[in-house]
Parts: sequence; C-alpha cells; structure tokens
Amino acid sequence: MVDYEKIGFKAGLEIHQQLDSHKLFCKCPSVLRNDEADFEVKRKLHAVAGESGEVDIAAKYQSALNKEFIYQGYDTTCLVELDEEPPHEINIEALKIALQIAMLLNCRILPISQIMRKTVINGSNTSGFQRTVMIACDGSIETEQGKVGIDSVYLEEDSARPNGTRDGKEIYKLDRLGLPLVEISTKPDLKNAKHVKEAALKIGDILRSCKVRRGIGTIRQDLNISIKDSNRVEIKGFQEPKIMEKCVELEVIRQKIFLDKGEKNNSEVRGCLEDGTTEFLRPMPGADRMYPETDLELLKISKDVLDEIRANLPQLKSEVEEYLRRHGLEEELIKVLFKSNKFDDFKGLFEVHGNARLVGRLLLVYPKDLAAKSKKSLEEIEKILDLELIGFILDRVNKSQLHEQDIKHVLELVLEGKDIKDAIKLEKKETGELEEKIMNLIKEKPGLSVNAYMGLVMKEFRGQISGGEATEIIKKFVK
Amino acid sequence: MEEAKFGDYVEVHLGKTIYEGVLLESPEVGICLLKLDNGYNIGFNKKDIVKIKSIEKAKETKNKFDIKQDKTKPNVALIILGGTIASRLNPGKGGVDFVESPEDLFKYYPELFEKVNISKVEVPFMKGSENMDYKDWQKIANVCEKYLLDGTIKGIIITQGTDSLHYSSAALSLFLRNLNKPVVFTFSQRSIDRASSDAELNLECAAIAAISDIAEVMIVGHANSEDDFCYALAGTKVRKLHSSRRDAFKPVNRKPFAKLYKDKIVLVSEYNPRDEKKKPFVDDKFEEKVALVKFYPGQSPDILDYYSEKGYKGIVIEMMGLGQVAVSGARLSWIKKLKEVQKKGLIVCAAAQTINGRLNPKVYVTGRELLETGIVYLEDMLSEVALVKLGWVLGHKDWAKNIETVREKMLENFAWEISERLEEE
Repeated sequence: MVDYEKIGFKAGLEIHQQLDSHKLFCKCPSVLRNDEADFEVKRKLHAVAGESGEVDIAAKYQSALNKEFIYQGYDTTCLVELDEEPPHEINIEALKIALQIAMLLNCRILPISQIMRKTVINGSNTSGFQRTVMIACDGSIETEQGKVGIDSVYLEEDSARPNGTRDGKEIYKLDRLGLPLVEISTKPDLKNAKHVKEAALKIGDILRSCKVRRGIGTIRQDLNISIKDSNRVEIKGFQEPKIMEKCVELEVIRQKIFLDKGEKNNSEVRGCLEDGTTEFLRPMPGADRMYPETDLELLKISKDVLDEIRANLPQLKSEVEEYLRRHGLEEELIKVLFKSNKFDDFKGLFEVHGNARLVGRLLLVYPKDLAAKSKKSLEEIEKILDLELIGFILDRVNKSQLHEQDIKHVLELVLEGKDIKDAIKLEKKETGELEEKIMNLIKEKPGLSVNAYMGLVMKEFRGQISGGEATEIIKKFVK
Repeated sequence: MEEAKFGDYVEVHLGKTIYEGVLLESPEVGICLLKLDNGYNIGFNKKDIVKIKSIEKAKETKNKFDIKQDKTKPNVALIILGGTIASRLNPGKGGVDFVESPEDLFKYYPELFEKVNISKVEVPFMKGSENMDYKDWQKIANVCEKYLLDGTIKGIIITQGTDSLHYSSAALSLFLRNLNKPVVFTFSQRSIDRASSDAELNLECAAIAAISDIAEVMIVGHANSEDDFCYALAGTKVRKLHSSRRDAFKPVNRKPFAKLYKDKIVLVSEYNPRDEKKKPFVDDKFEEKVALVKFYPGQSPDILDYYSEKGYKGIVIEMMGLGQVAVSGARLSWIKKLKEVQKKGLIVCAAAQTINGRLNPKVYVTGRELLETGIVYLEDMLSEVALVKLGWVLGHKDWAKNIETVREKMLENFAWEISERLEEE
C-alpha cells in the first residue's frame, strides 16, 4: 500500500464536459457526423510570436508550424467554424447550463468576464485559438475524505475532431468544433487514488444532473499528479473512472522509481492506457498564451439570470436515488431507470399516481416480459403501452378496481387488441370465475393447509393463474 | 499609497473578496479589467471596488526589432495605411489598434522577407479604410510616384483596410499614368495576431506580384477559402463581395491577371508588362461633387433635385437589370426629372446593380427612353469604379466643360475598367 500522505501526494482533476446545446458561438447544431464530408478546405497555421517575441515551447514542439491541415465540413457547419466569419453572440442556453453547474459546485460566479483566445496551433482549431471564458471560481464539493476545492469553471469551445491523415496532412472534422464545453478544475486537494476516483464520480454526478451530452467522448478527465520532489505529470484519456484508481497508483510508483534512483521524472503529458499504465504524449505546455477575443463584448451575468438559475437548480443523481429508495423503488430498478431514458416519464407518473414500485414495473419490467412472451418487439409493445395507458392502469389500481397481480394479464389482453376498459372487465370476470372454482375446490376438500390447497389449485388451473394470485385467493377462504 | 496604474500587478478588494492580477485598461467605461495568473481576464464594476492596491509596478518593455536588409534580393517599397493588416492586439487595452511602427508590423510577418528586400517603408497615414477619401488616394498616388521613379525599386506593396480597398485600387489605376512597374494592394480579413491570419499568404503573394512583370495596379488576396494561392486582380475589375471571408475580393467581368503561389506565378490574362523605360506620372485631379445613387423600386426621382441643388457635377445611378429605372407608366417615373437635371448640367451615368454583367439599354423600350434623356451607360464598369472615374474625369476642367468630352472620356478604357469581352472567374 502506498502511504499517500508520507510521499507528499498532490493531485487535481480537470474535467471537460460537452453541453447539450447548439454551438457556442454560432447557431449550428451540435451533431457529430460519421458520413462523408460535404467539402474540404486546406489551411495553414503560422507560429505567432507573443508580445515578448517568444514562441511558446509547446507550440515549437508541435511541428505543426506551417504545416497544412485539411478541414472537413458538413451542411451542419457554417463559416464560423471555418474561421471565415466572426463569432456570433455566446449561446445563452449553454451559458446558463454552465452557470448551473458552477452553482452546483458552490462556486462564486464572476459577474463580468472576458471571452479569451487560448492559442492552439496543433490544427484542431481553424482560427489557431480556442475561445474560452472563466465564469466562476472558488467552489467546493463534499467527499467522504473531506472537502475538495473547485478552483475554477470555464465555458469553452470544443476543438475539431481528428480524422486521420492524407499525404502527411492531418485531417480534422469541423462537426465538433465550437461545441459548448464546460471545464472544471479542482484544487490539488485530492488525497489518494481512491479520493481521485470519488471526486471524479461526484463531479460526474453533478454534471449529469444538468443538460449535458451523454455517451463516449462527451466527458474527458485529465489528472495532474505529483509527489514530493517529483515533477508534475498530466494524465489524459481516462475512458472510465474505474481505471483512475489503478492509474494513479501506477503513476505514483513510476514517479517514485525515478526518485529512488536519485533522478526526476519529466514534467510531461501522458496518456492513460486500458490497463491503467501510461505512455508519453508530449512535453508539458507552458502557460497558455491567452489574449482577449476582440470580436466579442465583455460577458456580463446579470443578477436576474443568476436568480432564475438558482430557482431552478436540478437535483443531483445521488439525491434522486435516495428519493427513489425512500419511496420504495428497488435498487435493481433504480439502476435500470438511470440507464433508461424514462426518468422523466417515471417522475411524471409517480408524481400523479404514487406507487414507485409499480410505476417502475410498468415502465421497465412488464414491457420486456410481454415482449418476450408475445414475440413482439419491445418498440411495438411500448407503443401500445403508452403513458396514457399506464396512467389509466395506475388510476384503476389506486381506486381498487384492478388488482396489481392482474395487471399483466390485462396487458396481455390489450396486446391481443382488446380495449383496456373491456380487458379490465374481462379480467374481473375471469378472476371471479376462477375464485368461484377455487372456492368450490376448497369446499370439496375441507381442512387442508394453504400449501396443500395451493398444490391442488395449481394442478387444476395451471396457466390461468399465478402462484401469487392463487395464494391470495386461497387465503380468502382458509383462515 | 501610490495609485495603481495599468500594467501594475495589483490586488482588487471587493469587500471580503480579493482578486490578484495585472490591471488592464477596459474597452468599456465604468469597468476595470484584471488579468489573472491563469491568463483569463475578468472584470469589475468600478463602483464595487473598495480599493486597488498596487503590488508590483509595471515593467517597461521595449522590444527593438530591426528591419533586416538583404541587398541580394529585389527591392520593394512598402506603404502602410492601416486596416486589419496593420492592427494588432493591444494587450494593455484588451482591444485591437494599429501597430505603432513598421518594425512592429514586421515582427508578425517574417515571411515577407523571403523573396524580397523591403528597402523603403512609408506610413503616410494610419486609418480605417472607411474613413478614407479622394485626398487619401491622392496622397498614396504621390508616395507611389516617388518609388515608381526610383530605379532601385522593383515594385510597390500597399497595405490597406478592406472596406474601401476597391475604391482605392480604382483611383490609383486612374491616377498613376504610364505605369512602369507593379503597384500591389493587399489586405487581411483575419487579424494578424492569430495563427490563422490570411495576411501571411496575402503578403507573400503580394511580394511575388511586386517583383513580377505585371505593371498594373492590382489587388492581391486569397482566391478562395484555402491557404493555397492568391489572385492578382485588376484594380478596376474587383469588388469586395463578402463581409468576412478570406476571398472577399472577387474578380468581376474580367479574369485575374494571374494566380500567385508562394513560389510561382501563373499568368492568366492580358496585362501591361513591366517597362523601365516608361516615364510614369501622377494625374490625380478630382472633382469631389460626384455621387453614387442606388435605384430601388418606388424611389422618388426627387432625390435628383437634391444633388442638382447641392451643386453636384455628376452622378452615377446604380440601375436595375440591363439598365432600368422607373419610366413612363410607373407611378413615379424618372424620365422628366432626368431630363431636367441633365439640362441643368448634371452628368448622369448608369452602372449595374447586378455587379456582374453589362448594361444594355437597347434591349427594352424603357431603356431606350432613358438613353434618349442623355444618360451615359457605362457598359460593364463597376459602379464604385464609375464613381471614382467620374470624379477623376470631371476633375479635369478642360474635359469637364464639354459634355461630349466627358461622355467620351467616361467610355474610354484607361485601366481595364471596361471589358470588351465579359469573362468569369
């Protein structure tokens, strides 16, 4: 075991999350395309000397200088991505989502900020810079190992997507360029490998409670790690938080090996591999060369906007989970519900009808069961078992006009083409008839145990009744 | 305590919260900007600030950059007039303004020196091109004359803002007579502080054009959105046709003189070749009282009274289609008024609103009716060029006193402004 405190472990996270809105500085939709590009444009980028006349070390390393790049555009990209038109005003929806995230991270929102250009000349930005704006600072999140400070929250444009090379020229797709992105950087407060993972999950949880994009590539986590006397290393490319813990442990050992030999690791950017080991990517960049985006006015966040956002803050996933648990939804269904896209449906039904457990079954379990049984596709089933029908059933159950155990059968009747109202009546009738038959059976052989009757009933009526239903009816007649 | 100045490293106190960074001038009144250590700029309303404490005084940084001279390369003169191409970020202000010296500019464009030796640099004025007028064109022409007559100079590069660039190129095309070497206007649409600036290719190609055989006034700039090659466009057959694209300047009704690559030139159309024996001179007479009016449906011809009464000598009307404005039968016919003002001595010329194509008043009866009022139809001449040319022609008093001479001069081809054959890009 590594004694993190003793080795002077220091780590901070940097998380990039794509927001679910149109592009940040134009009205193009945020769609990633896999079809063939509509057009290509060849461009060059030049090293631009800073005010001091020096070219950044990372910029120098990028042999990108005066290299030609190919940009692939679509009918979903416009002149802004092509660096042929000045940026439009900042996307207000994206700004609001970012502010929401900043608030959930308990940050101080900056009322006035300037949109900046961060020099990027590896070709991933047609302009040679990335637009970025700091919107908040000095927040924190609670973790089991104590408070973790949030240094700052930025709203920025995503870069163009690398798409291989041709004749030695790097190709980039413009579809991702300009997509709104929130960057969150924590303070170097993370105490150990487990803590890193916990903080990453916690921030991920906060992000997912807001309007963010989901799926592979929509969130990117970077980690800065050092131990006492070692050089800081930045690790990129965690596909999932699971691997983080292992990666941190391995990186600490890697840095320690250098120190044990009386050497020092290089300060560099490394990429995380699938097994948690890392590989060299590039030297650590110098301080980003930043200068104002002079095509845009200062960004001002009014008190009204902040009040509006504050009044509509979403609940965190963990809070929602707790809420569902409290209302009787089983762990298994909670998990299924979060994986499905039916959370809003669930909430809507639950708020009207209560009975979380049954709502969960109707939305998530029965359709699958019925699909398997009826050999219809889940889509077909869900089309028939729509929210209206589910609402109707819940209503009847609440009014005691339908037994929970009969629902499945009623749904089968509906799938056969019966009207829901008729199906319930029929079910009642069938159940009534069955009840009568069971009653007669008990009368014929009095004095047996519930289990004994159970055996008889199931033998007689197999297929027409479930064990649970049978028990319930038998219990009516046997004390 | 000494007052904090821009550029100082300061503490900004807002009640309990304190921010540290470099104090910057703000583009907005009532707001103060601070550059944080992470490079980001944030702002504060001045009224919210309790105090600003200076921690460290600003350092005076003066970077000397000498223009490198290489006598083995052909000499080119550079005339800098402002515009985006001569603007850079002022880090102290958070805004863009003009560079302070030519040396400042060269810092950004080392590639300009690859093919040529910039032996002379002149900055007659620095302004946005929207603020320029004919007096500026005259100034540029006179600076040019000096270098046209200087045998050690192979060509001239002029950098200017784009908004009125095609007016300047038209004016110089007419003002510089008997031209003996290339006069090349170039520009940029993307500011020079960004790695993607179009200025680099434009300047490199302008250098190629300046030492080429093409003794013409031309505009050199991106031919398309790619950083591949530039066009050398005739100064009178070019127009800004996009507000932001790199290839904003497009040839109209005539092919470019040439395609220019970083390392070669591909000649495309006819031009006057370099001729060191020619004796160039400046003819920059100009009549300021000329105007350009765009006709729109339902427009009252009363507008003509305004120009007539204000003492204008000539007017170019941007007409619709092949050369139409409202005539007999329209609710507001222009026929009567056109006759009236021309009778009073106002020269009326016609150019095309459609930008591309040639006027032909004889196709429709209405056109013939207009033609009969005495209007001078300017073939395929661009309306902006027509305006400049009308001012130039009327500036010559001996020409201006005779309406027939004016007509003749307006239709004489001085600098490719009229194409006998219409060509497309």
